[in-house]
Parts: sequence; structure tokens; C-alpha cells
Amino acid sequence: MFGLKMLSGRRLHAAAPELCDRLIRGEIGRRDFLQTMSWLGVSAASASVFASAVVGDALFPTAARAQEAPKRGGSLRFVCQIQEMTDPAAVSWIEASVVFRNTLEYLTLVDADNVSHPYLAESWTPSDDLKTWDFKLRSGVKWSNGDDFTAEDVAYTIKRWLAPESKSSNKTSFAAVTQVEIIGPLAIRLHLDRAILAIPEMLYAYNCPILHRKFDDMGADWPKNPIGTGPYELAEFAIGQKATFRRRAGYWGTEPYLDEIRFIDMGTSSAAHLAALSAGQVDILYRIGVSDLDLVKRLPNVQLLTGKAAQTIVMRMQVDQKPFDDIRVRKAVLLAADNQQMLELGYRGEGTVAADYHVAQVQPEYFPLPPVKRDIAQAKALLKEAGHPNGVDVTLMVGNTQGTWEQNTAQVLQQNCAEAGIRINLNVVPSTEYWPVWNKVPFGLTYWAHRPLAVQTLDLAYRSGAAWNETHLADKAFDAALDKAMAIVDVKQRSQAMEAVERILQDQAIMVQPFWSNKFTAISSKVRDYQQHPSDYFNLFKTWLA
Amino acid sequence: MKTPILARLVEIAGTMLAVSFIVYLVLEANSGDVAVKVLGPFSTEDQRALWMHQNGYDAPFLWRYLEWLARFAVGDWGMSTHYRVPVWQLLPERLGRTAMLAGATLVVMIPVSFSLGILAGMAKGSVADRIISFFCVATTSIPEFASSVFLAAIFVFWLGVLPGASSMTSGFAIRELVLPTLVLALYSAGYLARITRASMVEVMEAPYIRAAMMRGVPPARLVLGHALRNALVAPVTVIMLQIPWLLSGVIVVEVFFAYRGFGSLLYEAGLNSDIALIEACAMISVAVVLATQFLSDLIYAWLNPRLNRKTARADAAGIPSETPAAGAAP
Repeated sequence: MFGLKMLSGRRLHAAAPELCDRLIRGEIGRRDFLQTMSWLGVSAASASVFASAVVGDALFPTAARAQEAPKRGGSLRFVCQIQEMTDPAAVSWIEASVVFRNTLEYLTLVDADNVSHPYLAESWTPSDDLKTWDFKLRSGVKWSNGDDFTAEDVAYTIKRWLAPESKSSNKTSFAAVTQVEIIGPLAIRLHLDRAILAIPEMLYAYNCPILHRKFDDMGADWPKNPIGTGPYELAEFAIGQKATFRRRAGYWGTEPYLDEIRFIDMGTSSAAHLAALSAGQVDILYRIGVSDLDLVKRLPNVQLLTGKAAQTIVMRMQVDQKPFDDIRVRKAVLLAADNQQMLELGYRGEGTVAADYHVAQVQPEYFPLPPVKRDIAQAKALLKEAGHPNGVDVTLMVGNTQGTWEQNTAQVLQQNCAEAGIRINLNVVPSTEYWPVWNKVPFGLTYWAHRPLAVQTLDLAYRSGAAWNETHLADKAFDAALDKAMAIVDVKQRSQAMEAVERILQDQAIMVQPFWSNKFTAISSKVRDYQQHPSDYFNLFKTWLA
Repeated sequence: MKTPILARLVEIAGTMLAVSFIVYLVLEANSGDVAVKVLGPFSTEDQRALWMHQNGYDAPFLWRYLEWLARFAVGDWGMSTHYRVPVWQLLPERLGRTAMLAGATLVVMIPVSFSLGILAGMAKGSVADRIISFFCVATTSIPEFASSVFLAAIFVFWLGVLPGASSMTSGFAIRELVLPTLVLALYSAGYLARITRASMVEVMEAPYIRAAMMRGVPPARLVLGHALRNALVAPVTVIMLQIPWLLSGVIVVEVFFAYRGFGSLLYEAGLNSDIALIEACAMISVAVVLATQFLSDLIYAWLNPRLNRKTARADAAGIPSETPAAGAAP
């Protein structure tokens, strides 16, 4: 039908024809079509051919580049923090995954356009109700210690996330998985208690790499025993200093170009990172801050990469802590906030204004909900009603985890709120002091990384009792609305279902979410085929040095 | 000499003991945070309580301190929670790196500031004196964080002749030592030159120099043979006082140039609340401060034999010997 092929070669998923019709009728875009088809297990190539036939060529073509033949060899130097990664499933830092990604691999691969591709899983087939997912695993894959990669490794890894003693945040994100069944030497089946469409995408989350089935028996310390299926092996590792990877023989996939990748921890001074890049001492910086842009644009031997992503900061309030346990106080804060001004003054306008419900325009299920209109008089009235006729004093904790622009943004909010009699005392602490208490402080500014789907973030952050629920929101109506949205295949319908989800979040007034911040990084002009990734899941297998 | 030295050593041990108690009190009084640090923010209360119990955190504070002191004294300095290795593994390399930077700084700073100071002090009020004094005041009043930025802007971003980061990731590279050394030497050389100049001026006005001058002793012999040894008493004390600063006070420079020394280790330990590491770094800093003070007393006595008899009693009584540096400062 329509020339579309399942990766598994089985019959086309029941929801596919409807999606095709919607694409033809122009109700959904090419990108949404490709993304949804990839979740359903349809081959990206066949879906792309179909989409081109219907709506013409790709809307997001890769930037045209002079045809150069990639050069093999060389050592690439990448600046990022070298963090603790004893248990790759329990890390809470994306940088750690950028490091171990060269040795550990995932079931699926989500590219920079949010389209899921086969990786260790060759194909996947969801049931029509999206509650049973079959994964066919790649054959001929070997672990670096010589063992064969099998369904047992996958089952072991997933069960480990869900175990009662698990310290992984995957325990929440995959809470719907009730059973992991091995249905063949290279086939597993996931049983879910509710329908979830984005399972393939979720399996590429940074802390979802597939571990060897004997990981716990072998000491449960990955850097000490760095077995993996990937093309590189870990040669040196020291937290806070370095991690060196060398290409190994016998990789199942296409050989990468680089012989060696050296991750270097250069501490916290971004001035040192830029100086090292400018002097040719390193090749890629993990990221740069918005305040570094002027300098980077003037450096002759450096390329600036930039992109939009669903990454943001939330100045969130805990609904069970005084004075925020009174929704009128929270609403007053939202009414006083000027999101546009925060974007312009706090982040130099390098982003997209947001409307306090944590769903981004770049995410496929986005429903455009109008923002809260600024109204100082109403904010004052609400405060008075809540028993604060002379205003209220609150403390906002800021950790500057992504840079001092967090503090600058908070200062704008401080000014905004002062107009309504909400006196914000800014408590600025170092980022390492913020992370241990980020989900404990009553009023804090937290950075949230990009996730391809808004529902992934919402599931982790705002569902009752979720692992990272920092606002302590417990709203049954919200949970139900989220469940409903997560089960809908059709992009348009899903977006409509998101209206209820977004409205509850905005009405609950749990956060000022001023803007989505653009991403920036700087790389040496010698680096080729390095792509920014909205989630910072950088893949260096196609990268080469000129 | 024997008894005062012994007394001084006892005094040093007493000071270290007192500091160790203060350090332990400040860092370990709130032990609840330690479990969170080690087990991570997603650990449960039960896991934390179990860990605290297993690691002896439910014992009385004073008992914990004594246990810690006993372990520390025999070289068991605990595990770094951030780097996940024993603390003693981290220190030799970092201390070595900082010693290298400090050594390079001293090698540049001492000849430069002595020459400038002597040159200026020899002829007070001359053009040379004024130019040198201006240069010294200018470099000393620019803090390291500012001169780091200036020098990096000039030599890394503009001229592109020097590397911008000094992490030495590909092994030792002398080029990477240039900028941090330059920043430190510029900052401290001005001060040292001023001290040398003041001291020199004072000596040059002393009656015995005037007498020698009148006897027709040639200027070179006058300065090198008669004035220099007396004029160096104060600057040498200043140099000794700068060694502790070169160990832990260079945090700004080490962090700015991503130099992996003791200063950046202390900074990262503080940033990550790595308690065992902070304790070890603090104790090392104290030990270095006390050791250099002890050493400067010895050198001081050697440079100025008259002080031997006078300070022997003061030393034994634990009174620090007078520091002419303070009085001679401009």
C-alpha cells in the first residue's frame, strides 16, 4: 500500500493509511509524517519517497556543502565535562552519554530531525492498540569481549531500569512497561499497560544504552569494565580529566572515520574553552553560552553552529509549599511576568517566547495556546484575596547551571514581580549546589533539556508522583489527559488532545516558563560532518577531520 | 639553635592540630549532605541512612573527629566523592603541576624584580626610578583575573601566538606555561620590586654606605658588596610569604587557563562539595604556610646574623619574629 514498507517486512500498521491521507490533504507536514511513520516501524526511506511524491522534496534539506571525500584517521579533541558514569542507566547528565555513546549503543537512533532509525534493533512492530511492541534485533553484533549480542542483553537492560532498587530515571519513563518478554534469540516483546506511541524515540534517551547481560556480575562499574557493541573502546578514563576512545576492529556497522576521540575536561571556565579552540588545541566544544557569541563570530578558524530546540528554563513553584500552596499567589506571579522581556534582556532575544506550559513549537504535538496576558492590577487583586495585601516575600533559588543568563532572566522576573508587590529575593548558588536540591526548593529556576516529544518531558516532570516532579503537582485530570494524548497516533488529533494537557498546566500556574533558548556551539573549521543535535546526543561516527 | 627549632616544630604541630579541628568542624558538622553527595540525588532516605550507618556517621562528633584524625595521620585521606578515587592519588600530580608553575613564576619574578628594585633604589627620584615605580604600581594594581583576560586577548585571540588553555592534555608543553606564568609574575613582580626598592633606598641612606661612598668605593662594589645583602632581608621574607599564595592563591589563574594544578583542584573540590578532598587540600595549604614561615625564619637569621641571639628567645616563646616587610612596604 502506497509503496510504504515496514522495517520488519510485516503488514503495514493500521494507522499508516490514515496518516498518508492526512499528508495528501495537507493536514500534517512532511516532518511530522516521517517522524510518526518511523515510530510505527515504517522504513524511513520508503516514507521519505512517499512524502517526496506527495509534497515535493525535503523541507529541511541538509545544508549544501562542497563535495569532499571524507578522510580517514586522525584524533579528534572534544571538550566536555567528564562525569561519573559508573552505571550508565543511572546517570543524570547528558554529557556522560556523549562520552559512553562511542562504545555503548542503543536500540534505536533518533536523528537531528527527530526521526527514529534502526540501530541495535533492526525493526519494530507495534500492535494496533500500541500496547505490545515487538523488536527484532540485529544479528551478527558482537560485544567487545567477544560475546554475541542477544535478546537477553536487551531484556536484562530494560528489566534493570524497572527493578525496585533501580536508581535510573527510566523507572518513571518506562513505568508503563509491565513485562519484557524474550520471544526469540534476537527478538523481544514489550508489554505495556497503556498505549504509548513514542517507544522507539524513548529508547534513544541518553540513559538507555544497552548493557551487557552480565553487567552487574562483572562489577557494575562501566568505566572499569567498559564492554560495549560500538566501534570504539575506552582506553583511558579519569573523572574530571579525560576519556580517550580508540577505534576497535570487528565493529558490526560502518567503520567510523576517526581513529581516536579524546574527551577533555577543561573545567568550568568558558574563556579557557574558547581560547583553546581559537588556538587549535581542541576541535569541538560541547556547547557555548549566549554571552560567548560575539567573540565566536569573530574567530577566523571557528564555525558557529546554532539551532532551535525544546530546551528551556522553568521558574517553578511547589504547590505544597507556602506561599505557593495558594494558587492565587502562583497566578499572581504568572500575571506579573513578562516573558518577552525576559527573552530579550535575559537571553539577548536568541530564542522563542514561551507561554508557561512546557510544550514547544518545534515539538510535533504542540497546540498553540494563548499566553497569560500580563495584568499587574489583577495580580495585585489576587494577592490581596490570598491574604497578602502588602505584597509577599519569596526566595527564588538560581544555580546558573547553564550560565549567568539564568540569573539575568531571574532578575527580569524580579523586576516584573516587584511591580505587583511580589518581592523576589534571588538566592544565587553555584550549579553544583543547585543540583542536589533542585527538586526540593519551594521556588527554583531549573533548566530542562530538549526531548523530541513534549509528552516525554511532561510525563517525567508533571505526572503525579513522577521521579522528577519538582513542582509536586498531583492532578488526576492532568494525568488522564496526558495518558490520552500519549496514545494517539494521528499528529493532528494528538495536538488537539494536547490542548487539555497544556491548559491544565497553564491554569495550575506552577511555573513561569519564559522562553525556549536556542543552542550554540563552536567547532574548529577542520571538523566535517558534525551535526548539532537538539538533545545534545552527538554522534561522531560520521565526523572526520580535514 | 636546637631548642628554638624544636619549640617551633612543636608549635607548628599544635597549629596544624587546631586547624584540622576547625576544618573538620566546618565541613563535617552537617553530615546529612555527605550521603546525598555520594549516593546521588535520586537515592532514597533508607539508602542514605544505611550508608551513614555503614560509614560511622552516627557516632558522636568528637569521636568521629578523632577517628578521622587518626586515619589522616597515617595517610588514609579517604575517597574523593567527585573523582571517585582515593584522595592521595590526586594530590602528587596536582601539587607537582602547581610547584612547576610556582617555580617558573619565581624564576621569572625574582631576577626581574630584584634588578628593577635595585636599579630604582640606587638612585632615588631619578628618571629610572620613576619609570620603574610607575610600571610596578600599574602591574600590581591589575588583579590576575583582569590581566589573564588582557593577555589572552592579545596573545591568543589577536596575535594567535600562544595556546589559550594550559591543560597539557598532550603531555608537558612549555608554551602552555607561558601565559599563566606571565600573569602571576607580572602581578607579584611589581610588589616585590617595590619592596626591594624601599629596602634599597633605606640601606643606601645608612651611615655605613655613605661612609663607603665617601671613601670612594666604586658604585658597583658598593651595591653588590655592601648594600645588597642587607637590602635583601625584607624582599626574601616577601618571597617566602608568596609561596603559600602561589600554592592556593593562584586559583583564579589556574581555572582561567584550565591549568590542572592544586588551585583548580581545590576550586573543583569546593564546587562539588568534595569534603575529603577539601580537608586534604586545606591541611596541605596549612602545612605549606607553616613550613615556609619556618623556612623564612631560618633564612632570615642567616641573612642577618644579628637577629640570631635576639630572636632565639622570641622564637622559643612562640612570638613570631618581626617582619620588616610590613614596615618596608611602600
